[in-house]
Amino acid sequence: MELSDSVVKGLQTLADPACFDLKSFSAFTEVAFDSLLSSTGNGVSGHPALKNIDQALLKHCHVAATTFILEAVKQNADKSTISSCLEDVKFDSEKVETFYTSYQINKRNLENLLSSIDRCPPHITDASWRLEYCIKNGHVHKVNQPSYLISFDVENGEREGTSSEVNFSCTLEQLQDLVGKLKDAAKSVERATQL
Amino acid sequence: MLLVLSDEHKEHLGFLPKVDPAVVGEFGRIAVEFLKKGSNPKIYEGAARKLNVPSETVQRGVEGLMYLLTESSKLMISEIDFQDSVLVLGFSEELNKLLLQLYLENRKEVRQILSELAPSLPHYRNLEWRFDVQLGSRALRQHVKPAICLKLHLESGGTQTARVLQTDPATLLHLIQELECALAEVKSNHCRRILRNIK
Repeated sequence: MELSDSVVKGLQTLADPACFDLKSFSAFTEVAFDSLLSSTGNGVSGHPALKNIDQALLKHCHVAATTFILEAVKQNADKSTISSCLEDVKFDSEKVETFYTSYQINKRNLENLLSSIDRCPPHITDASWRLEYCIKNGHVHKVNQPSYLISFDVENGEREGTSSEVNFSCTLEQLQDLVGKLKDAAKSVERATQL
Repeated sequence: MLLVLSDEHKEHLGFLPKVDPAVVGEFGRIAVEFLKKGSNPKIYEGAARKLNVPSETVQRGVEGLMYLLTESSKLMISEIDFQDSVLVLGFSEELNKLLLQLYLENRKEVRQILSELAPSLPHYRNLEWRFDVQLGSRALRQHVKPAICLKLHLESGGTQTARVLQTDPATLLHLIQELECALAEVKSNHCRRILRNIK
């Protein structure tokens, strides 16, 4: 794993027993993982076990640790890669063990978080429908035709939370065609999972 | 249901008995052409010269026929009602039969043309799909994320659009379930009763 100088310096400080003993390191690791996964939280500065450490140094170490964590998750790093990286910056075996335990516990959630950072076409989340019977309109009387109004709820990936709708009408035959094609897609997904 | 023809309309159609029934047949054909493809004023001048009448008279006659056709097709009036409505004009038996035939042969097509004027939402034309598996991205390497990419073709008032959308397998199954419910609804007793009784 390639790490920048700033990250290496931060990790070296974390390794230093004069700055972080095992207890404060455990607390720090917990806070670091928490800060990535939850949107609320006190952050490094609020934690009682870390009060005695210089705040500026703490911030630098926090940035270094979170960068390292994300890089490890991104590359799907195994135990030997992480251990060798940490040992290179003079982590002792207890601190490596503490870090790796937290890493294993939180890895799945971090992977989900990273996979949601994505550029993709608008994503369909739901569909609603309305069946109507058209009797007449201003130009033609005695129409007497059923028709469907379909609406797909769509979420745009670029701006979180913005959702819009795709609305269209169709006849019975057209809806049967649409459902048939969606079923073909579902069948191909099922076949792929059985390979 | 009878068609009520205004005096002005009757006046315009009053030109028809003065010419040969064959010419009226030709005017009927021109009227249908104009409804399908739009009017062409040059044809009025040509016909007016041949019949030795002002081109305005020919134009009014043809437009009167067009209006008669669109109104009867819009209301979908029966044969008997059409014959009774046309009786008011006091035309000959032969001319009445000609007009009735013109109506019956073309009403379906005229209704289709009229229905294009009605307000409508974009409607479905086609759906293309593609099953993809995302293997990596800038933020996360080495992962497996299945996705179904859809291209929905819609048409709105002559213009065609295509929207590229995406969904995941779980949502795809949910969409299929919802839309199958929609399809089942039209076969329910409630819908069948309404479709049968409102005609």
